Amino acid sequence: MPTRPTGMIWWIVRPQLKRFVLGVLIFIGMSAVWMSLPAIVAEIIDSVTETRSLNEALPWLVALMACTVVGPLLFITGYRILFVAESRARVRIVELMSDHLERVGTGVRSKVSAGEMVNLSTDDNRKAAQLLFELGFGAFNAAAFGYGVFMLWRIDWFLGLATGVGMFLIGTCIGPVLERLHRRQTAYRAQTAEVTGQAADIAGGLRILRGIGGESQFERRYAEASLLLRDTGYRLGRADSWLRGIEGSLPFALAAAVTWLAARQAVQGNLTVGEVTAVFGYNMLLANFLGFVVGIAKNWIEAMVSARRLSSFFATRDPLPAEGAGIGRGALVDPLTGLVVEEGSGLTVVVSDDGDAAKAALARIAFRSDSEATWGETRLRDLDRGVIRDRVLLLEEDYLFRETLRGSLRADDDEAALTALRTASAEDVYTSLGSDLDAVVDDAGRNLSGGQRQRLRLARALAAEPEYLLAAEATSAVDAPTEARIAQGVSEARRGRTTVVISSSPLWLTRSDRVVWFDGGKVRAAGTVAELAENPEFRTLTSRAG
Amino acid sequence: MTDQTGNRLPVADRAAVMRAVGRLVARDKAAFAAVIALYVAAAGAGAALPVMLGEVVDGIGSGWTAARVDLACGVIVGCVVVQLVLMRIGRLLGYRFGERAAARLRESFIDRVLRLPLGTVERAGTGDLSTRTAGDVSAVAELLRKTGPEVTVAMIEVVVITAAAFVVSPVLGPLFLIGSPALVLTTRWYMRRAGPAFLAERAAMGEIAETLTASAAGARTVAAYRMQDERGRAGYEGAGTHRRRLWRIIRLQFWFKPGIDLTFLVPAMVVTMFGGYLYLQGWVSVGEVVAVAMLTLRLDGPVLRSMMAMTEFQMGGAALARVEGVHLIPDEERFAAPAGAEVRLDNVTFGYGDGPDVLHGLSLHPRRGERLVVVGPSGAGKSTIARLVAGIERPRTGSVTLGGAATADIELEDLRRKVVLVTQEHYVFTATLRDNLNLAAPEATDEQLEAALKTVDARWAADLPEGLETMLGEEHRELYLAEAQQLALARVILADPDVVILDEATAGIDPGSAGNVEAALAAALEGRTVIAIAHQLQAAEAADRIAVVDEGRIAEEGSHTELLAAGGAYAELWRAWRGVPARGQLSLYQGTYPDWRRKIP
Repeated sequence: MPTRPTGMIWWIVRPQLKRFVLGVLIFIGMSAVWMSLPAIVAEIIDSVTETRSLNEALPWLVALMACTVVGPLLFITGYRILFVAESRARVRIVELMSDHLERVGTGVRSKVSAGEMVNLSTDDNRKAAQLLFELGFGAFNAAAFGYGVFMLWRIDWFLGLATGVGMFLIGTCIGPVLERLHRRQTAYRAQTAEVTGQAADIAGGLRILRGIGGESQFERRYAEASLLLRDTGYRLGRADSWLRGIEGSLPFALAAAVTWLAARQAVQGNLTVGEVTAVFGYNMLLANFLGFVVGIAKNWIEAMVSARRLSSFFATRDPLPAEGAGIGRGALVDPLTGLVVEEGSGLTVVVSDDGDAAKAALARIAFRSDSEATWGETRLRDLDRGVIRDRVLLLEEDYLFRETLRGSLRADDDEAALTALRTASAEDVYTSLGSDLDAVVDDAGRNLSGGQRQRLRLARALAAEPEYLLAAEATSAVDAPTEARIAQGVSEARRGRTTVVISSSPLWLTRSDRVVWFDGGKVRAAGTVAELAENPEFRTLTSRAG
Repeated sequence: MTDQTGNRLPVADRAAVMRAVGRLVARDKAAFAAVIALYVAAAGAGAALPVMLGEVVDGIGSGWTAARVDLACGVIVGCVVVQLVLMRIGRLLGYRFGERAAARLRESFIDRVLRLPLGTVERAGTGDLSTRTAGDVSAVAELLRKTGPEVTVAMIEVVVITAAAFVVSPVLGPLFLIGSPALVLTTRWYMRRAGPAFLAERAAMGEIAETLTASAAGARTVAAYRMQDERGRAGYEGAGTHRRRLWRIIRLQFWFKPGIDLTFLVPAMVVTMFGGYLYLQGWVSVGEVVAVAMLTLRLDGPVLRSMMAMTEFQMGGAALARVEGVHLIPDEERFAAPAGAEVRLDNVTFGYGDGPDVLHGLSLHPRRGERLVVVGPSGAGKSTIARLVAGIERPRTGSVTLGGAATADIELEDLRRKVVLVTQEHYVFTATLRDNLNLAAPEATDEQLEAALKTVDARWAADLPEGLETMLGEEHRELYLAEAQQLALARVILADPDVVILDEATAGIDPGSAGNVEAALAAALEGRTVIAIAHQLQAAEAADRIAVVDEGRIAEEGSHTELLAAGGAYAELWRAWRGVPARGQLSLYQGTYPDWRRKIP
C-alpha cells in the first residue's frame, strides 16, 4: 500500500490505465476539432469576401458542419470513458477501505475519528478519484494549447510566439494567487467544520440545554463562531475575487493585444481579414481553456491533500502481533495482576476497588491488547487468534450495528435468540421493537434506551455461547430486581462453562462460585464469597450500607 | 424516541423559500444592487471584445489607417482592464453579500431551533433535526456564497452577450437564439432527472460513510464476534449501490452534455453560413458576421458553468426549504408567571402521543426544601413525572404546577431559573470545559466553576492539560459516562435553581463514589427542593421522603424508616438490594424478587 500521496494517486490510476489512456486520446482528438474552428471560419470569410460567392467556401462549410457534430460526440465519448474510470476508482477505494478495516481490526480505532472516517469515505475518496477525470481534461487543454499556438505560428510566427509566451506569463501570475486562495480555503473549511460541529451538537444536546436553560449561552457562542466564519469568508472572498478577475480578464487582454498586432499586419496587407478573425478566435478559445486549467490546478491541490489522508488511513496497522498457531488449554492467566481464570469454573465475580484495573486485566486475558497473558503454559500471542476469539469473549460496551434484532443476536435459531433475551432480562427490547426479531436495531442501538442496549449486548454475548465469557460491563444500568434476575439466569445458563463478571453487587455475589478480590490493581485474595466475607475490608467494599 | 414515519419537521414550499430569499436581499438591498450592477457592467465590457473586433475588421476593409486601428484596439484593451476591475470588485462584493446572508440565515435558524418545542423535535426524531443543523445549513451557505453568484454571473453574461449580438446586427441576432429552445428543453429534461439522481448518489455515499464509520467504531466488537466477513459484505454492498447510482448519472449526462455543446456550436455554424449569404446580399457587413460568430464562442463558458452548477443549485434550494421549514413550526405560548417555587402534581393522568395512559391520577406534593426520592421499576412512569415537572409535557387531566402556575405554560427562561432537570442522558458539547459548564451560568467565575467541579468529586478536571480551556468531545478529550454525569451535576450547582430534578443522574458513577457525590450534591443544594429519581437505592436512605411509583401510581410514600416498618414493596426491595449485612455472619438474601418486568407473551 503506498504511503506517499503521489504513490497513492498512481495506485488509484493504475487499474484504470487503459481506460484513462483511451479517454485522453479521444480528448486530444477533440482538441484538434475545437481548434480547427477558427481556421475554418477564417477560410469561409476569406473565400466569400474574395470570390463574392458561396461556391468556393462549400468544402469549408461542410467541414464546419462536421466539426459541429464530431466535436460533441468526441467530448461525450471521452467524458464517459473517464467518468466511468473515475467511478470505478471511487467504488474500488470504498471496497479497499472496507478490506483494510477488516484487516487492521482495532488499529484504526484510536487513529481515525468518526468524523474523519466519514470524510475519507466520501469527500477524500471523491476528490482523489476525480483526478482521473481532471488529468484527462488537463491533457485536452494542453493539447489544445499546443495546437492553438501551432496554428497561430502558421499564420504569423510572431503571433504564435506572443500568444505562447503571454499564456505562460499569465499562468505564472496565477500560481501565487492560487496558493493564497488554497490557504484561505483551508482556514475557511476549518471554521466551517467548527460551526457545523457546534450546530450538530443541538440535535444531541437540545434536551440537556432545555434541562438547564443553556440556550442563550449556546446561541451566543454559536453567533461568535458564525461571525468568525463570515470574516474568514470575507478573506477568502478577497483571494477568490482576485483569481476570478485575473482568470476572466488577463487572457482576454492577451487576446486583445495579439489581435491588435494582427490588425496592424492586416492594414499593411500582410494578413487577410479572415486570418485576423482566426487569431482572435484562437485566443478566445485559449482564454476559455485557461479557466479550465485553473480549475484543474485547484482540484489537483485538493486531491493531493485527500490522497495524503487516504494514504495515512491505509498506513494504519493491526496493533496486535502477527498471529500464532497453537490452540490454548487450561486456565487463562494474567501475570501482571495475578488473575487466574480456570476452565469450566462457573461464575467468578471480580470485586475491585478500581474498576478500570479489573477491566484491563480481562482485556489482557481476552487478548484485546498485547501482554504476557497465557492460556495454560502458552502465551496468547503465540496462539491462533481466531481460536481465541471463538472461545474467549470479552463483553464490554460493544457496538450495536444497524441490523435486525435476529442479526444483532447472532443466535443459531430463533429459540436460542429468545432464550438469550430472556436470560439477559431483555424481553422489553423484544417487545419495544414490536415483538419481531426482524425489526431493525438502529446504528449504535439508537432506538433503544441505555439499559436496553446493555442488556441486548449481554444477550448477544450469551447467544454466542463462548467457553469463557468475560463481562466487564454487565449490569451497571439496570435496577436491582432485574439485576437479581440476570445474575440468576446467567449463572444457571452458563453452568459448567466459565463466566467472569466485574461487580461488587451482592446480587451477583450470592450467585458466584468463586470471588476474586482486586485491591490496588492486583489480586489480593480469591475464594468463595463466604471465605472472603471473613475479611471486614471486603465486607465494607461489598456492603451498600451508606 | 425515533419516529421514522410521520411527524417530520415541516419543509417550506417554493413561495416561502422565495420569500426567504427576498428577505435576505431586502436586508442588504444596496449591496445586492451594487453587485448586480457590477456584474452587468463587467459582462458588458467582456462582450465589447468581439464587437470591437467586428469594427476593426470592417475598418480594415474600408481602408483604416494604422492610427485608427491603434485607437480601436486601445479601446479593446481598455475594456479588458475595466472588466478586470469591475469583475474583481463585483465578485468581492458578491462573496461578502453571500457570507453575510449565510451568517444571518444560520443564526436565525439556530435561534429558532433552540426554541422549538422539545416534544415536536422528539416526535420528528433527532435525525431530522441533525440533517438540518449539520448538512443543510452548510449547503445553503454554499448556495449563497458560491453557487448563487456563479449562476447569477453566468446568467447575466448570457443575457448581455445575446443583447450585444442584437445590437451589432438586428438581422443576425435572432440566429443567435436558434439553439435556445433545444437548450431549454434539454435542461428541463435533465433537471427533472438529475436532482433525484444526484440525491440518490449522495444518499449512497451517506450509507457508505455510515457503514464504514460503524465498522471502525465497532472494530473491537467486530474482532470479538468475528464479524469481519459480514462487515466486509456490508461495505461492498454499499459500494455496489453507489456504483449503480453513479452509472445512472453517467447515462443521464451522456445525452445532456452534447446537448449543451450543440446549443452554441449550432448558432456559430448557422451565423457563419447564413451570415455569408446575407453578406453577399448586402444586408450585413463582414465585421458584423465576425462579431456575432465570435460572440457565440463566448457563450461557451457561461453556459457550461451555469449548467455544471445547476444540480448544486437545485440541491441548495432543497436544503434552503428544509432550513426555512423550522420557521413554520408554531411557537409555544408560554406566558404564565409562577408565584414561588412550590411543586404540586394533582390527580395527573398522562400518556405520550395517542398512546395509553402512563400515569393514572397520580398526586405528589414535594415540600419546599425537601429531598424527595422517587423509586420504582423501569416503565413505572418515574421519568414522566420528571418531564411533567420540568414543563416538557402537559398532563391530559389534572394539574402540574410550580408556584401555582401550570409548568407547561410558564415562560421558558423563567421556568429554567426555577427548575432544572438532569437526566441520565449524558451529552458533552464539542467545546471547552468552561463552555460546557457555564451554559447555565455565563457569568460564573473560574473559582465558582472549579468549586462546582470539586463538589461533584470531578477530580479528573483538575488533571486536564489546559484546565478549563481543554476542549471536550469526541475528537478532543472524550469523557467517560461518569465524568459526563459529574459535569451535568456541576452545571446544576452553577445554575442554582429552586427545584432540581435528578432523573437517574448518577446511574453511571461507580456505586462506591456515587454515594459521595450524592452527599456532596445534597449539601450544595441545601434548601432547594430536590426530586431524585433512582432505580438504585443508595440515595433513598438519606432522603426526607420516599415515593414508590408503580404502574403510574404512587404505591407507597413515607420516610425510609416508615416504609421499612410498613414491610411493603420498598422494604422488600431494600433488603434485596442491600445484600451483605454489615456485621457478623453472612446471611445473603435468597428470596424471590418482585417481578416487575413484563414477560415475553
